[in-house]
Amino acid sequence: MTGRRRLGLVAAAATLLAAAPLSAIFDTWTWLLQCILAVGLVAGAAVLARTLRFPTWAQIAGMILVLLLTLTWMFPSGEELLALLPTPSTFNHFGELFTEAGNDTRSYGVPVPDRDGLLFLAALGIGSVAIAVDVLTVIARRPALAGLPMLAIYSVPVAVYVDSVPVVPFIVGAVGFLWLLVADNVDRVRRFGRRFTGDGRDVDVWEPSPLAAAGRRLAMIGVAAAVLLPLIVPGLDTGLLNRLTQVGTGVGGNGTGTGGNGRINLFASLTGQLNQSKTTDFVRVRTTERDPFYLRFGVADVLSADGFSNRTPTGRPLSRGIDDPRRNDRTDGGSYQQYHAEVEVTDDFGQTLAPVYSLPVDVDGLDGAWSYDPNSQVVFSNRTTTKGQKYSFDYIRAKYTPGELRRSEPLAEDDPIRTQYTSVPDDPKVEALVAARIKGEDTQYDKVMALYRYFSRENGFSYSLQAADPTGGASAISAFLENKTGYCQQYAAALAWMVREAGIPARVAFGFTRGSTRDGDTYVLTNRNAHAWTEVYLDGYGWIPFDATPAAAVVGSSRSEWAPDNDRVETPTATSSSSSAPGADASSGPDSNDRADRDLGAGALDNAGAPPSSGASATGLIVAGSAALVIALLLVPALRRILVRRRRHAATTPVRVTAAAGPAPPGARDVTVTTESARAREDAHAAWDELVDTMVDYRVPVDPTETPRHTARRLIREAELEGTPADAATLLGQAEERARYARTPLQGDGLASALTQVRRGLAHTAPRGTRLAAVLLPPSVILRWRMGLGDASARWMGTLSRGRDVLVRFSPRRLLANRSR
Amino acid sequence: MTTPTWDEPGGPLQGDEFRAASEAIIANIEQVIEGKSATVRLALAVMLAEGHLLIEDVPGVGKTKLAKALARSIDCSVRRIQFTPDLLPSDVTGVSVYNQETRDFEFKPGAVFANLVVGDEINRASPKTQSALLECMEERQVTVDGTTYELQAPFMVIATQNPIEMEGTYPLPEAQRDRFTARIAMGYPDPRAELAMLGGHGAVDPLNKLRAVADAALVRRLIATVRDVHAADAVQQYAIALVTATREAPEIRLGASPRSTLQLVRTAKAVAALEGRDYVLPDDLQALAVPVLAHRIIPTADAQLNRRTTDAIVAEIVHRLPLPHDRSRSPYDTRATGDGRAQYESRGL
Repeated sequence: MTGRRRLGLVAAAATLLAAAPLSAIFDTWTWLLQCILAVGLVAGAAVLARTLRFPTWAQIAGMILVLLLTLTWMFPSGEELLALLPTPSTFNHFGELFTEAGNDTRSYGVPVPDRDGLLFLAALGIGSVAIAVDVLTVIARRPALAGLPMLAIYSVPVAVYVDSVPVVPFIVGAVGFLWLLVADNVDRVRRFGRRFTGDGRDVDVWEPSPLAAAGRRLAMIGVAAAVLLPLIVPGLDTGLLNRLTQVGTGVGGNGTGTGGNGRINLFASLTGQLNQSKTTDFVRVRTTERDPFYLRFGVADVLSADGFSNRTPTGRPLSRGIDDPRRNDRTDGGSYQQYHAEVEVTDDFGQTLAPVYSLPVDVDGLDGAWSYDPNSQVVFSNRTTTKGQKYSFDYIRAKYTPGELRRSEPLAEDDPIRTQYTSVPDDPKVEALVAARIKGEDTQYDKVMALYRYFSRENGFSYSLQAADPTGGASAISAFLENKTGYCQQYAAALAWMVREAGIPARVAFGFTRGSTRDGDTYVLTNRNAHAWTEVYLDGYGWIPFDATPAAAVVGSSRSEWAPDNDRVETPTATSSSSSAPGADASSGPDSNDRADRDLGAGALDNAGAPPSSGASATGLIVAGSAALVIALLLVPALRRILVRRRRHAATTPVRVTAAAGPAPPGARDVTVTTESARAREDAHAAWDELVDTMVDYRVPVDPTETPRHTARRLIREAELEGTPADAATLLGQAEERARYARTPLQGDGLASALTQVRRGLAHTAPRGTRLAAVLLPPSVILRWRMGLGDASARWMGTLSRGRDVLVRFSPRRLLANRSR
Repeated sequence: MTTPTWDEPGGPLQGDEFRAASEAIIANIEQVIEGKSATVRLALAVMLAEGHLLIEDVPGVGKTKLAKALARSIDCSVRRIQFTPDLLPSDVTGVSVYNQETRDFEFKPGAVFANLVVGDEINRASPKTQSALLECMEERQVTVDGTTYELQAPFMVIATQNPIEMEGTYPLPEAQRDRFTARIAMGYPDPRAELAMLGGHGAVDPLNKLRAVADAALVRRLIATVRDVHAADAVQQYAIALVTATREAPEIRLGASPRSTLQLVRTAKAVAALEGRDYVLPDDLQALAVPVLAHRIIPTADAQLNRRTTDAIVAEIVHRLPLPHDRSRSPYDTRATGDGRAQYESRGL
């Protein structure tokens, strides 16, 4: 088998390895089978074409044809000739598959099930990459470039995953790429001749060549650096530093799921979860309560210009018990009833916040890693996730009547709860709106209800997962108040903001509705039951939930006596609109018309991060700073070149010579050394150095055995200089040779302009790449630096070895050896 | 008549005069030797460098014609020696003859007592006869019977030899070759020049029409001018480096002598002067390295087996030797850091 054919097979195998990231996207491994088939057949076609010595274009055409046939066979429309030859209907079918794939990408979250469209897309993509890799590696002999199409595969999971991407597929892909590079190089070396070890012997079959070993070592370092560096760098979500600081300061429930695919990033992936049409069971909960309110796990209680974000929960371990709110006189209003609930979390739902019914008073089954934050009433852990957890807890359910709530008095201005939970960003429109709504309302509760009722269908609000601006920032919330279209998180956030604007503490709570599936007394909660609502603090009663989202749009929503459904028409006294409510299955809505969850998620990411606004801006600063630094570093050689040129230009700018330098007296045997002539010599040397550097910059080779005259001539010939630039180059050569070898140097002021002329001439004839490199990364500067580096390292090595010699001289071992002799 | 000595050649000429005189000589010679401007200039340069010229080429390319044309162009004493196997040293140097009238030995000067000596087919004479030239060529004097006779200035030996014919020839001894400043090859004329030659020579030998355009005094002044040409330190260093490189080259058994360094620089001065410069360039040395150095060196047996001519070896040395630089080292001069080959060997590559 010749090297080319072998290389083709390696290219195919490398493509398959590079396809590893797709494993993070698909639920099953069907795609792999199909991709292996497609890539294998394409590679087989390439090998066959090369064996038959087809021309290059025929090889490529053959590969494309085989890919087409393979796709036709794997995704038939049913009207193919012999089940293999595509017909127009096949292409129509392909088009349908494309559309289907487009819909699927929008409607499915990762991991996706085996959908024909997506599988077709994967097979087509990987097959095309295989062709590209083959063409680049075997035909163009540029295996390094083949990394680009391979990288394209990797960009798919990067784009789909909201935060981090599994690292193993990347390593597998990188190994494939490295294999390709190594195979290509080995092939090159084989073609060139035999492989040698460092000591001049042939490399035996069984032993690795030292060159390859060095290459492998470099490759290992490269991959390790690529994997480890992002872990260390802050700002990337899985940043090791972030992790460390989290553990150190006890930051836990920042909402960044560390589990697999079932996490909920509060605001961030709430939308994502809602958008997925694939339903994943997250939580099974059984309770003794007949009509429970929402299962709750998180709170966003910080409102800034970036919108609501969650505070780091703090509290003491569950093992030390939870204070009973009934014994707290600030929250003992209302009537309480105690219930018991058992929660079973599936493996798909892993996060650091445990869902419980509020308000828990005794949790059983969660180990010491879990704590309870009495301020936000969340159960959190710094060390573990809810994945696969089973626990039970007792909780109390408070019932309030509007009459009771009306008795709640406003909090004092300096009450910590009021100062903490009523800060709002400045927005005159919201201010005006709130002032208008609460005018004439006396009690706290009535004010809240006035605001709550504002979100009714009568006022033009409608539920849609297709939010105009999904970022959830303050501007998005105010935009929601304008266009009045949004979903639970915007309803909740907008109500919380408005309530805060009215001077009443409010926050956004996250959790699950009661879901649509009820298995006996067990509620099965899925990703699509994720929900957000508002909690308002009324003194004497504590945090009271208000869900402003239209009940009809949310499956399993619940309404309380004190906050009835705004859009409920039949009976205003209904206590709930449970899962049997008409039109409750709103999930069909989100499915049909929504953008991909990743868009929403990525945009909302900032909002969900642990160090909320400052962290985001700091990351931005770091990124911008790094970019600026990189650009600055890139510009350093160019700047250095300009400085050097300036200096030389200053040297070649003639100083008006007052005393005209006369010609050398006839018969003078000595070199005339006057200030003028010395100056002229220096000028010529500076100009010449600049010319040589310019030649290096424009990739005209420089030969140290050449005389200036020769160099100038060759420059004119090789760079195809004509007219003025050619004359200028000749002049520079003459000036330098006279400065070096003649009694009297050439005196005149044409050198600087001659340099400019030559540079212009060179730039005129040089290709664009060369021209750009000459300006941005001048080879002359780079070469000088490299030489300086080499010299410095040589000096260092010399010093080191001398030092070692000295040490050896005083080594006691040597003395011992002498003594024994 | 006072014989001008070598140490007082006469006053140097100004640039214009020098150019006029030298161009006149060259133009004169070129009436006979057509299309060989570089060779003619080199021959003149050797003369002005006070050297001797060895013209080596196949028969019939005009070796003798060039020698004679150069001799005719200068109005000075010219002697021609046809070297034959039976030629004796005394035929060259001269002999003391017993004069019956004065009853004393009288010195009869040999053929070398002239300004220009044309030695034709020099390798046909036996080494015994050839070695008669050794003293006069280097020391410009002849010693016969213990008496030393000074030669006139200018003095130049132009010898021709045929490298092809080996039968009945004696290769020049190393000492003799080293005395020739330059060895030049005529080379075949290009077709145009050959056509012109046919037209001209068909009727009459142009050599007969040749008139002298310079005399010995003028030549002495020309030589004085050439002596005055400036050779900068860098140029001298380069000349030394070139010659040293021939001594160190692995392909060469015997490198060039210090005399060759001197002659290299002198010839370079002459060439520079002929080009109208009063300073020597490394370019001159590069151009002269092969004619001046190649005939002096002896390649190793290996190099001979590999059919490496001395010309090629010298040309390669010129090609790889960096110019001496009195200023800071150029970053692009990778060779100056040390012997690249040694580096590779130490790495075992």
